[in-house]
Amino acid sequence: MQSNRLGWILLAPTLAILFFFGVLPFIYVVYVSFHQWNPFAADPTMIFNGADNFRKIVFDAEFLNSVGVTVLFVLFAVISELVVGYILAQAFMKEFPGKAIFRTIHTLPLIMAPIIVGSVWKLMMTPSIGIIPHYLNEWFGITVNIGTSPVAAFATIIIMDIWHWTPLVTLTLIAALVSLPPDPFEQAQIDGANKRQIFFHITVPMIAPAVVATVFIRLMDALRTVDEVWMLTGGGPGSATRFVGVHIFKEVFPKTNYGYGSTISVIVLYLTIVACWLLYVTMLAPRSKKD
Amino acid sequence: MSNHDNTPLSSAHHEEEDTPAVSSPKAGFLPIETNWFDRLFISVVIWVALSLLWFRFIEPMGLSIWISNAIALALAVLIISKG
Repeated sequence: MQSNRLGWILLAPTLAILFFFGVLPFIYVVYVSFHQWNPFAADPTMIFNGADNFRKIVFDAEFLNSVGVTVLFVLFAVISELVVGYILAQAFMKEFPGKAIFRTIHTLPLIMAPIIVGSVWKLMMTPSIGIIPHYLNEWFGITVNIGTSPVAAFATIIIMDIWHWTPLVTLTLIAALVSLPPDPFEQAQIDGANKRQIFFHITVPMIAPAVVATVFIRLMDALRTVDEVWMLTGGGPGSATRFVGVHIFKEVFPKTNYGYGSTISVIVLYLTIVACWLLYVTMLAPRSKKD
Repeated sequence: MSNHDNTPLSSAHHEEEDTPAVSSPKAGFLPIETNWFDRLFISVVIWVALSLLWFRFIEPMGLSIWISNAIALALAVLIISKG
């Protein structure tokens, strides 16, 4: 009993912080999502409108389009980051000249604020002054303009995200690979397993928890991407890169529509939780034993 | 150093081992092992999805959202008790 109380006392600060900065704001957002509220209007009163915001959201073509664009972005970005991150992690497991310097340089994008990343990529992608459109045109004769081409804008954001976040995936996968015991690999080699069999039957199952945790983190981050996209394309051209985060931003700040913005936030949170849960169920959850 | 096992944290650890689990996983009709909180979570997820689909496709035909809520509640009872 004594130790139980000690446990709760030790946990109390964390629980208090979590409650005040996590649970309470969440409850407040859910509360606001059932209201029509513009705090900067002549009448800033919150008006309860039941589930009308949720009725509106399922017919909101802009929101549905933003969900589709975001899902595409998440699929391309997270899968690419996982593949590139794994290849780099395997490379860093081997010794080669300049490994320490390369690893440091490779990790540098992680310490940059997303808004800076967006600004730098905007400079690099601006047709008149940017280095990337200049060399693409000079070397390959390709004209790229993210201000007019939806495909170019979308692809640039994916490449930017891969550049920014692959080091995180590499670091977590290195940690997972380093902690693997050598015995199963040696036994498999003695038994005559080839590299492909070792990868799919030993490496992947053993690093699956780390992979899933990494995908969780990247999935949650990618679903709420705002600043990089806002700086690079502002959600355009048209609505080609109007991700849900950007959509919420446009709904809440320029339009000051806090009620509907909260509704979108709640739905995005719901989609994020469901995506993570499905991933957990598919990859890690213990199967039910039926007799 | 000799009475290392008498530190509060180590005794807490031993006590935790002796304490029966609050909720144990069980095998119902769901394809994964779940405890009651997992099943409650699944029920809430289904309730929200059903409500949104109802708003989009069924309510414009004149059927109230309360029917969806009743179906979701019945599903929740089934999932929590037999899932």
